[in-house]
Amino acid sequence: MRLEKCWFCSSTVYPGHGIQYVRNDAKVFRFCRSKCHKNFKMKRNPRKVKWTKAYRRLNGKDMTQDATFEFERKRNRPERYDRSVTENTLKAIKKIDKVRVDREARHHSQRMKGKKAQVLREATKELEQSIHMVKAPAALQEDSSLTLPKIKVKVSQPTEDNRMLE
Amino acid sequence: MIQPQTHLNVADNSGARELMCIRILGASNRRYAQIGDVIVAVIKEAVPNMPLEKSEVVRAVIVRTCKELKRNSGMIIRYDDNAAVVIDQEGNPKGTRIFWCNPPRIETIKFY
Repeated sequence: MRLEKCWFCSSTVYPGHGIQYVRNDAKVFRFCRSKCHKNFKMKRNPRKVKWTKAYRRLNGKDMTQDATFEFERKRNRPERYDRSVTENTLKAIKKIDKVRVDREARHHSQRMKGKKAQVLREATKELEQSIHMVKAPAALQEDSSLTLPKIKVKVSQPTEDNRMLE
Repeated sequence: MIQPQTHLNVADNSGARELMCIRILGASNRRYAQIGDVIVAVIKEAVPNMPLEKSEVVRAVIVRTCKELKRNSGMIIRYDDNAAVVIDQEGNPKGTRIFWCNPPRIETIKFY
């Protein structure tokens, strides 16, 4: 029993799932579900279809090179059954998965970093400009809790610094 | 899903190139044949100077179908074309070589 990868979306195909298509040049295409199979029949290129792993790896959305991927490489040598090896492998799989998931999360956060300031700016702008979508302008004037609070700076004596700030 | 009038490629070197299914063996009103079934076929196209000639009626066993084959293990396999191997009455292949890989079920059925 072997867990294969779907040719289209690169997810694991478990036994009992999916279809294998054998082309006449003896190349085997494995699909995890009919969605991938149908996309393949439509001759779609997985590298251009946004939700596939191929696209994500190609466009830097997901990790491409990592030491944890080496463990999942396909080996064609059958291993002699050894109970302790099996036990250790199962433990290692868990650990490696955890490491890989952590690294992927880190990759994702790295990718999403640097957006906080922009998101904040956009939010304030939207709040200022489009608040009339939410509440009528008349209501706003009565109840000023919906607008952003204007920061009040106490100016006792207009010094040079204070004037620059305002 | 091979039925009478279906054209099949021939996957061995028996001399035939293309077969047309005439009859599916096994039951009186059997509708479709899948991989591993024996059919009676007529040779539509043959390689010249070989023992098998055009319009000869032969038996063949189906080795590849475009329709998916569902195995009990849950595996579903689909090929790119319909193909058969020409056999004789006992079940021995008429050719000496079979081209390309076949599903393991064939091997357990008859000759190998």
